[in-house]
Amino acid sequence: MVSTAPLDTINGPHVSELWNTRNDRERFQWGSLALLTPAFALLVVLFLIPVGYAVYLGFTNLTLVGPTAVHWGFTGAQNLTRLRTDTTFIASLRLTAFFVVGSIIGVVVIGYGLASLLQRAQTWIRVIVGGVVVIAWMMPAITAGMTWYASTTAGGTFATLTGLNQSDFLSSQPLLIVTIANIWSQTGFAMLVIGAALRNIPSEILEAAIVENASPWQRFRLVTLPILRPTITAVVLLVALLSLANFSLIYVMTQGGPGNATNILPLYSYQQAFQFNNLAYGALIGNVMVLLAAFFGVLYVRVATRRS
Amino acid sequence: MSEVDVNPGPAREGVDTGGPTIMPGENRDTHRTTTRSITSNVMLLAIGLLFLAPMVWLVFSSLDSQATWSVEWPHFTLSNFSQVLTGSDLQALVNSIILAVLSTLIATVAGMLAAYALSRRRIPFKGPLLLFVLFTSGVPLTILIVPLYQLFATYGLLTIVPTAVFLAVTSLPFEIYLIKNFIDAVPEDLEEAARLEQANTFQVLTKVVGPLALPGIAAAAIFGFVNAWGSFVVPLILISPSTQQPAPVAIYGFIGAANVRYGDIAAYSLMFCVPVFILYGLSSRLFREGFVLGGAVKG
Repeated sequence: MVSTAPLDTINGPHVSELWNTRNDRERFQWGSLALLTPAFALLVVLFLIPVGYAVYLGFTNLTLVGPTAVHWGFTGAQNLTRLRTDTTFIASLRLTAFFVVGSIIGVVVIGYGLASLLQRAQTWIRVIVGGVVVIAWMMPAITAGMTWYASTTAGGTFATLTGLNQSDFLSSQPLLIVTIANIWSQTGFAMLVIGAALRNIPSEILEAAIVENASPWQRFRLVTLPILRPTITAVVLLVALLSLANFSLIYVMTQGGPGNATNILPLYSYQQAFQFNNLAYGALIGNVMVLLAAFFGVLYVRVATRRS
Repeated sequence: MSEVDVNPGPAREGVDTGGPTIMPGENRDTHRTTTRSITSNVMLLAIGLLFLAPMVWLVFSSLDSQATWSVEWPHFTLSNFSQVLTGSDLQALVNSIILAVLSTLIATVAGMLAAYALSRRRIPFKGPLLLFVLFTSGVPLTILIVPLYQLFATYGLLTIVPTAVFLAVTSLPFEIYLIKNFIDAVPEDLEEAARLEQANTFQVLTKVVGPLALPGIAAAAIFGFVNAWGSFVVPLILISPSTQQPAPVAIYGFIGAANVRYGDIAAYSLMFCVPVFILYGLSSRLFREGFVLGGAVKG
């Protein structure tokens, strides 16, 4: 193994390093490749190749069972034509948009509200309320889905709370309920990071605004919000990605139903692939999700790397 | 659960800029401040109750011998817990542990090696590599299910170990980032001193960088564990033998059963959550620092 000591070290370069032509920067070492190989081999084999394979599968006639499960092949734009006229798919796009946008708004507004309220709350209230919201965030999706199913079905907690004992909210307002459940399970994260950002705002700035007689709304709009913007942008994008990929929560609560009322893209992709046995068509719907995710992903990367 | 150190407050170690924050408006107009403080406390309690409401069923029913979907004061019993700690339900929990531990080990070791190289070595195309890692951490993994099913089915890999390896890959990008940020903070002088003493890379990693970046490695490992532990759709599709299915699939099976055992569902779900709560509690500080350091979140 060659030494990694940079050449500007006071101990002087190794003899072996003097042979090299470039002495003004650290050299590439073959040992680095050994360090990188496990991680990048895994990422390429189980991430990059499957993504590429999914793109190809989307243009084939592969099925889960039947003759085309074995003898399948490239069918060109056939699946695309089907996608364009698939009313369930178009409805699914609309449901996904509602679910993702609703979740973003809910998580950011409630997360910010909680973070700022917690700052001036009494200690015991802060501990209890903060703890409950974070526990909701930590709860695995399958358990969160279970609890929300139990709470919103006929005779559940919310039916009891509203006094409408036999009303089945999950059947009457399925999309709204799964969106609220998703907001419930993601707000804790937003509350934590927005809270951390709020505490990092120098108090002198807000004091100066008060001295200038800025109203609370002006202080929020002209001081707090601009400082929080990078944080809120990051939260928005993460919530968008997590909601777009959400499967378990909705699957446990409604399986995409009743009918197709909560059949957002991940569920519809799964349904086509593994319930209607159209693996190829399911993959194509997955590809649409890749495009949507890539859009958010590029935004996310740009925001995350802009200031570092 | 209550020791979870998660409560945003003005004065807290770690992320604070130093010293207690003096909230503007304090001592200025005492009467108005008091009214506002009462209003905000009441609002907080109301929101807290709404967040708490769905969880009540889980706790009550797990202790109720006659549980249903509705919330009732439990007819106290612990038999729900003992009942689900037998047979295939217990096996599913064991499978979850195998799946999560294996996946955590793979992701953390591979992640640490890559993080060290990306942090310390000169690597061609380092920028694009890091972007690739960041990008993979943002792509919804649900889309990989169909191609992986087809790949695994073709090569007869629809079992627990290949699934654990795939779950490791799903947490690998974030683990690389997290560990890299912690290694970046380890002073290079220490490493150079070890090099002068003829330490090789393995020794530098295990004796110098590893111990110093341990909080980051621990946080990354916990993230990997929780990620694999909670995953439902991946094992549901990628594990074919029912005896190898982990706990989330078992929980789902409870709901579809012919006669729904409500108390068992609640007790089992609650037990399934406990490791996650404990691990998050242990690492909440590390995690918060990780997120702040991660560059994704800067205030």
